[in-house]
Amino acid sequence: MTSGRDDLAYLSAAKLAALVRDRQVSPVELVRIYLERIDRFDARLRAYITVLPEAALEAARKAEAAVMREERLGPLHGVPYAVKDQFATAGVRTTLGSRLLEGNVPGEDATVITRLNGAGGVLLGKLNLTEFALGGTQNFPFGQPRNPWNVEHDPGGSSSGSGIAVAAALCAASLGEDTGGSVRSPASWCGVVGLRPTWGRVSRHGSFPLSWSLDTAGPLTRTVEDAALLLQVVAGYDPKDPLTSRRPSPECLPALGRGVGGLRIGIIRELTFSEETHTEVRTAVTAAAERLHGLGATVDEVSIPLVPLAGAVFMALADSDGAGLHQPWLRTRAMEYDQGTRRRLLTASLIPTAIYHQAARARALIRAQLREALASYDLLVCPTAHQAAPPITAGRGAITTRQDVAGRFFTRRSYVAPASLAGIPAIAIPCGFTREGLPIGLQLLGRPFDEATLLRAAYAYEQETEWSRRRPSL
Amino acid sequence: MAELTAEQVSAMAAALGLPMTPDDLVEVTHRLNALLEALAPLATLPLDTVEPVPVLPDEPFTS
Repeated sequence: MTSGRDDLAYLSAAKLAALVRDRQVSPVELVRIYLERIDRFDARLRAYITVLPEAALEAARKAEAAVMREERLGPLHGVPYAVKDQFATAGVRTTLGSRLLEGNVPGEDATVITRLNGAGGVLLGKLNLTEFALGGTQNFPFGQPRNPWNVEHDPGGSSSGSGIAVAAALCAASLGEDTGGSVRSPASWCGVVGLRPTWGRVSRHGSFPLSWSLDTAGPLTRTVEDAALLLQVVAGYDPKDPLTSRRPSPECLPALGRGVGGLRIGIIRELTFSEETHTEVRTAVTAAAERLHGLGATVDEVSIPLVPLAGAVFMALADSDGAGLHQPWLRTRAMEYDQGTRRRLLTASLIPTAIYHQAARARALIRAQLREALASYDLLVCPTAHQAAPPITAGRGAITTRQDVAGRFFTRRSYVAPASLAGIPAIAIPCGFTREGLPIGLQLLGRPFDEATLLRAAYAYEQETEWSRRRPSL
Repeated sequence: MAELTAEQVSAMAAALGLPMTPDDLVEVTHRLNALLEALAPLATLPLDTVEPVPVLPDEPFTS
């Protein structure tokens, strides 16, 4: 493959859409380029569970014909995208990364798929994930997903394939689902942009559930502009999901270039400066905050005392919800689950109701503390994760101590769970690399339904830095 | 909350009709005790007057 074709593969979805509109590139050619890259790299990276070459080429041919007929084109016209295998796709298997659903073929598209296709997107395939969008999978039934920056390292989850495919240019953009960090964590560890919109902003119809009050679909992209573009496409009221907001889709793109002048930004002290946060991560995040200050924002430290508890509170609530959904299969098909998934769901099945209620009340307090902070600040910042991607082996093997549980589950989630528990939007963007060459993620949290300010600040930072322009050596 | 023994965890699972291998039981006991320990600080918070509602439609910034 020529470097020109590689360069095309790494262009943003917005730029590819513009090239298609201007007849400078054919959607068929774009699909072929990504299919070739999938052939070359995915046997190792395992981003995809299902690739759809014939369907994608057929859709691309139709897209090309529409361009030639000078039809009115959608904002993603002819752009090849892929989605986490958690979203239902009519006539295409939807596995949730589990042997239990290996043969599951939905009859209807999830609303987000309908909207992406309606905007002209070309679906390339379905992406790998931790089983049932829980973390802690020990043996991935469809192959071990690997981090493109170092294949011995974890790509993050649960939207693992979504992060890998975007970082390795195996698609132009992807969609993941974030219950407790499942978009932001793989974005951070794979060095791409990951947006968790406000809860209720995006329809959950056709997305296999984990927790009704936390599940949120969101884009993983190579640029902030693409995250804004995909959000505008998928957001908005859906009568098939009565909990979606009736607010119109946010007009984030026009505001992107307005800069951060005058914005008040608070660095969350308990996450950024905690002992658990690795030094390189803390250094990169504080440098990013200084950069935002240099761009005109006011930056202060802010204390949100309860956020260190967010990881455990999240697991008590989300895992209980998940365990409730899985009870029939846990009773009759338990051994078909991956060992890690089964043990996590069994544990959650036994959480006492009194503890669940205590966690639900604590969630309300955490939400109140975050919203109080957001009354004084336009945005909050902190690391997306306490460390860069660890080796895959770090999460392998049986759990033999309580410290194992805390290390594998609670600590990391305390960085991403606060936004989930509060229902507020948050974005992960690259803000540096470790000495080992692994990406570090900056997280920005915003006010409910104010994705525009969140994206505006992320865009301003992205334009001033070169982190998003680096590519992994594959 | 007192630490749960493997026997107690096994009995709870059996009551719910949940099958568990011996290895599952060891790990689930660790996991459950770790979660309960991590949540123990919640007992010190003023939670009695807090309503456990995940989403409040009329909170500031949402109207």
